[in-house]
Amino acid sequence: MREVGGLRPSPEEPSVWLPTKPDLIEVKFIGMDTTQRPGETYVFEDPDLPLLVFGQLSLLRRGRPVTVEGITIPVPRPAGLLLEKLVTDRTGVKGDRDLLMALALLLLCEPADIHELEESYQRLPAELRYAARSSLASLSLLGPMASMPDPAPHRALVAALVARLERAEPAT
Amino acid sequence: MSELMHERVRRMRERVLIRAWEYRQRHTSHGAWFRIRRVLLDAAQAWTLSDQDADRLERTGHLPMPVGGELAPPKRMFFVSAEELRTLAGREPIDVRLSPQLLAAANLALIAHTSPRTSGS
Repeated sequence: MREVGGLRPSPEEPSVWLPTKPDLIEVKFIGMDTTQRPGETYVFEDPDLPLLVFGQLSLLRRGRPVTVEGITIPVPRPAGLLLEKLVTDRTGVKGDRDLLMALALLLLCEPADIHELEESYQRLPAELRYAARSSLASLSLLGPMASMPDPAPHRALVAALVARLERAEPAT
Repeated sequence: MSELMHERVRRMRERVLIRAWEYRQRHTSHGAWFRIRRVLLDAAQAWTLSDQDADRLERTGHLPMPVGGELAPPKRMFFVSAEELRTLAGREPIDVRLSPQLLAAANLALIAHTSPRTSGS
């Protein structure tokens, strides 16, 4: 971190680094702890870079990196990222946009991704499984939003995913 | 220095507790909203109906979805076939969205997805 130039920690929130040059943008650092239960969030204290560690990020798994204009960018696999979008509690326009992003991920999913999603879903506590199904139901009823995928043509796909997750529910 | 971060964590934990409470309340009003969304999720099309159309559906053995009766005022929602829909003179199409128009409709006919793509299979 000490080799990073052109950025300095925000005095208000030290996990956010602000640019000191006009051609850079703000960088927000967040923590991921794969040993944590989804839903647990805590502050990782560190003198150089304290972090907010979000439990939902433990659902992410490393995917195949993407190379854009010579820069290799690590990206997560679709299943975990999709599930993270569905169980993270957000509201308002930001919440709707996240659900539409979940739809975009769903459209990219291959059968193996859906299988992985289902397995991860089954390991979630009941309230997060409910949150995931509830988010999908909300997603299917959203109206179109500029620069985002329209859920209307994909409502049957969303309904099929919810039905699949319901079948994967543990017997009570 | 990280007091603000601790405050954010505290607020997030509050939201997690509220969500857990809401989950436990799912059979009450909170659950009714989920069940309505769940019913609409299975609908490819929605149509508003006149009271006469809804009465006729009930007379011919169609039971309204129970969750509609949990609302005030109650809403009658029926899944019908495309053929049955065509016999309902007072039908008007409406987008399957949680819009004010859909929520205000007293009677709804729903057409299920005919051939849903099965996710990942």
